[in-house]
Amino acid sequence: MKIIVAIKQVPERDAPLRIASDAKGIEERELQWAMNEPDAYALEEALQLKEKHGGEVVIVSAGPERVGATIREALAKGADRGIHIVADDLAARDALGVAQLLAAAVKPESPDLVLTGLQSEDLGLGQTGVILAELLNLPHASLILQVEISSADSPQAQIKAKRELEEGWFQSIEMPTPAVLTIQSGGNKLRYATLMGIKRAKTKELRTLDATSLGAAAAPVAVLDKITLPQKKKSTQIIPGAAKEAAATLVEKLKSEARVL
Amino acid sequence: MTLPLPTLAEPDHFSLGEKLLFAALAAASLASFLRRFAPIVSRILHAKKDADFHLFPLGRRIWDFFWEVLCQAKVIRQRPLPGLAHALVFWAFCAFVVVTLNHCALVFGSGFLAPASAPGRAYSYFAALFALACAAGILGLFVRRFFLRPRWFGKDLSWESGLIALLIFALMVTYLAAFFAHGPLAVRSLWWAHTLTLLLFLPIIPHTKHLHLVLSPVTIFLSRGGFSRIPLLHGDEDFGLVAGKDLTQIAALQAYSCVECGRCTEHCPANNTGKTLNPKDVVLGLRAYLNALGPASEEPLLGRYNAQEAVFQCTTCGACEFQCPVGIEHLPLIVGLRRGAVNTGAWEDAHGAKFFLALEKGSNALGLPASEREKFIEKNALPLFDGTQEYCLWLGCMGGYDPRGREIVLALVKVLRYLKVSFGVLRKEKCTGDPVRRLGNDLLFQQLAESNLETLTSSKTKKIISICPHCVRTIQEDWKEFGLPPAVEHHSEFLARHLGVLKGHDFSRAESSQEGRVLQVPSLGPGKAQPSSEQKEETEKVVFHDPCYLGRYRNIYDEPRAVVSLAGELVEAPRHKERSFCCGAGGGLAFLGEEKGQRVSHARAAELAATGASVVAAACPFCNTMFRDALAAQGPGAPELVDIAQLAARGLPQNPASNQTENASA
Ligand code: SF4
Ligand code: SF4
Repeated sequence: MKIIVAIKQVPERDAPLRIASDAKGIEERELQWAMNEPDAYALEEALQLKEKHGGEVVIVSAGPERVGATIREALAKGADRGIHIVADDLAARDALGVAQLLAAAVKPESPDLVLTGLQSEDLGLGQTGVILAELLNLPHASLILQVEISSADSPQAQIKAKRELEEGWFQSIEMPTPAVLTIQSGGNKLRYATLMGIKRAKTKELRTLDATSLGAAAAPVAVLDKITLPQKKKSTQIIPGAAKEAAATLVEKLKSEARVL
Repeated sequence: MTLPLPTLAEPDHFSLGEKLLFAALAAASLASFLRRFAPIVSRILHAKKDADFHLFPLGRRIWDFFWEVLCQAKVIRQRPLPGLAHALVFWAFCAFVVVTLNHCALVFGSGFLAPASAPGRAYSYFAALFALACAAGILGLFVRRFFLRPRWFGKDLSWESGLIALLIFALMVTYLAAFFAHGPLAVRSLWWAHTLTLLLFLPIIPHTKHLHLVLSPVTIFLSRGGFSRIPLLHGDEDFGLVAGKDLTQIAALQAYSCVECGRCTEHCPANNTGKTLNPKDVVLGLRAYLNALGPASEEPLLGRYNAQEAVFQCTTCGACEFQCPVGIEHLPLIVGLRRGAVNTGAWEDAHGAKFFLALEKGSNALGLPASEREKFIEKNALPLFDGTQEYCLWLGCMGGYDPRGREIVLALVKVLRYLKVSFGVLRKEKCTGDPVRRLGNDLLFQQLAESNLETLTSSKTKKIISICPHCVRTIQEDWKEFGLPPAVEHHSEFLARHLGVLKGHDFSRAESSQEGRVLQVPSLGPGKAQPSSEQKEETEKVVFHDPCYLGRYRNIYDEPRAVVSLAGELVEAPRHKERSFCCGAGGGLAFLGEEKGQRVSHARAAELAATGASVVAAACPFCNTMFRDALAAQGPGAPELVDIAQLAARGLPQNPASNQTENASA
């Protein structure tokens, strides 16, 4: 079974974010980068499926040179090889543009399963995986927590997936392979990186593809206007008075001002 | 003139039959010894070479040999009575080397110590004194092992030890009796009894703990040195102690040298609170592995002979390594086994994996966003380090993120400001990597160490001061693998150096805080308020807890005590200084969730409270956080918990610059 995991590199969670001068993105200098967390869960799911059923896990990621480090990290955790789509203009592409790049790299691999994180921690569009499925013309499901596979070796392998719904409800779905699943965080326990993994990763294949060789970039359908920091509004009120009166005022305010009661 | 003292009687000639019998028995005994001993030597020699072993400089080795082997200093100091008994046996053995050589030479008519000659007589009395002492010593040890039966000897009586004790006793008695023997038959019988005992003794050595007779002097001489020195990993296939093939010659030698005295077990905080870990069994487990599988085996070391669970219960307090009389270095072994499990991903622990992942992505061991640290710095107006100040004040994870740790930092800041010592904090800091280093995650440790070293180099840091002994140790010793760390010191060292100035102040709490109780300095310097006689009587008793990483790891015992004496009367817990008992946090355990059995921190907190002190002074933010919970669990009346920095800061006058630092929380 061949599983492809599409991964995005995002700013480290602790990174101090500053808006770039053109307000179209963030200042990248001094940023540190990490693997998008939902993608880390997609990778973990893929590795566990491989441990159970055998096969190969291939990483695909698009972005500038620095993305190589994140692919190596995935190789260190146990993926078999990586494909790096070198693209310096990722920020200028919309979800469709990125999905087109990924689709072009994934297609010739003809995988049995494509996993990717539900959404990215930076932009949070939640679209790329689903568009990728459409471009590949494959069935897809989103918000997946766990995947089971029956008769993994046959071309008719079936997937049973646990899908998260609202309010603690889950849905169990069955679907054929090949398929694209977008993975929700928290379905598995992530593994930590090990020295042995890093050493072994050094000898694993990491192929680079030039984005321009994968076809012309589509003009973005959705255009980013500008990004701003959230407005800080001081809306804390301290209600004075004895507990009883204060509580009454609070209820009144919740009703009339906040309108939550 | 007849001497009042008896003379040692020896047979004056031996028949051919006796000569042949002796030769045959001696050869058999020796052969039997070698047949058992040779495989052990071969296993040690066939183990992997220690890549970072250097024989030179010899000075330390010779000194260790003299002090620990010949003088038996450690054996005696850490267990005075049994230690002395052992030393007597050991010294007697040394004295008996000449006696035994002469004894055997006698058979062939070449005895060189005629008992009637002056030197012979002198030596025989000299040896007899030792024989007496040895007989008494071995008797004492026998009574202790078979009747007093300390816990660390385990539940089963070791009959083999009894037999050995008997043989040693017989050796001495047969020698002493020869001074009073009359008639050739008695003399000859004693000679043979002595000889047979000796020849019986020899082959027993290799398969029992008495192997230490032969090996431990070598082990002590060849020890890695330093304390808890974690060896370098060499090449691309070295992940720590994964399988037999990773055990080095020194490790194998140490595994075979253990004398099963149980000193390590006696002092082990994990073992004392009902955990599976027993440091003695870690060593004996490795020996059993080597005996069964040899030094080339690929079978994991954690499994049949050592439990993974056990090695991850170690707080790396170092009590075992410090205590071991035969120079076994437990921490390289225990941390080595952890490295083997973590570096290959074999260790699967929910808390551990979460902790590693948090540090892979984030900056601190508490898993909090770095912005929390920035807020703390901003709120308390801590100056940023810009390369011009004298000290870089290293906050560490506890000092930067933990509320109690922050209070300690702010207390130290108050002192620094009072002393007009310039300092600054780094804009960004990562965990030094102490917990991951001790847990055996070399990849993460390297990343953290390199990233921090880069920050420090680019900020031109020359001197670091830190409130955390773990940070200090890791920066100074462990980072060396990846670069040249700046000089670093613990705040106790700094405070002790400035004691003179600090002494000029009244350290009563009334001045600096709202707390009710009054604390007094016993020795007030010039200046400042004079205590009334009534206040003097209220001098508070303060018990100081030696943090493992400050004491055993850094040899700092007096400095924090000097700071404590500023503020109250120092009292000592039963286990203190080198014998201090861990708080339970070290070795990454603070981050691994609830422990099995009794909590180490509770055991120690109870011991500290039992001293009757009203204040427990700590010098490590990890000890502090462990004891905070443990003392809180004791309910009302539990002693108050402070860091020595807080003691030092108490008496200082408010000055405008430090106003902002009074509020600890961010
Ligand atoms: S270092 Fe401390 S906790 Fe670990 S085995 Fe030794 S004595 Fe026990
Ligand atoms: S390891 Fe050292 S202290 Fe522990 S039992 Fe063996 S000889 Fe004694």
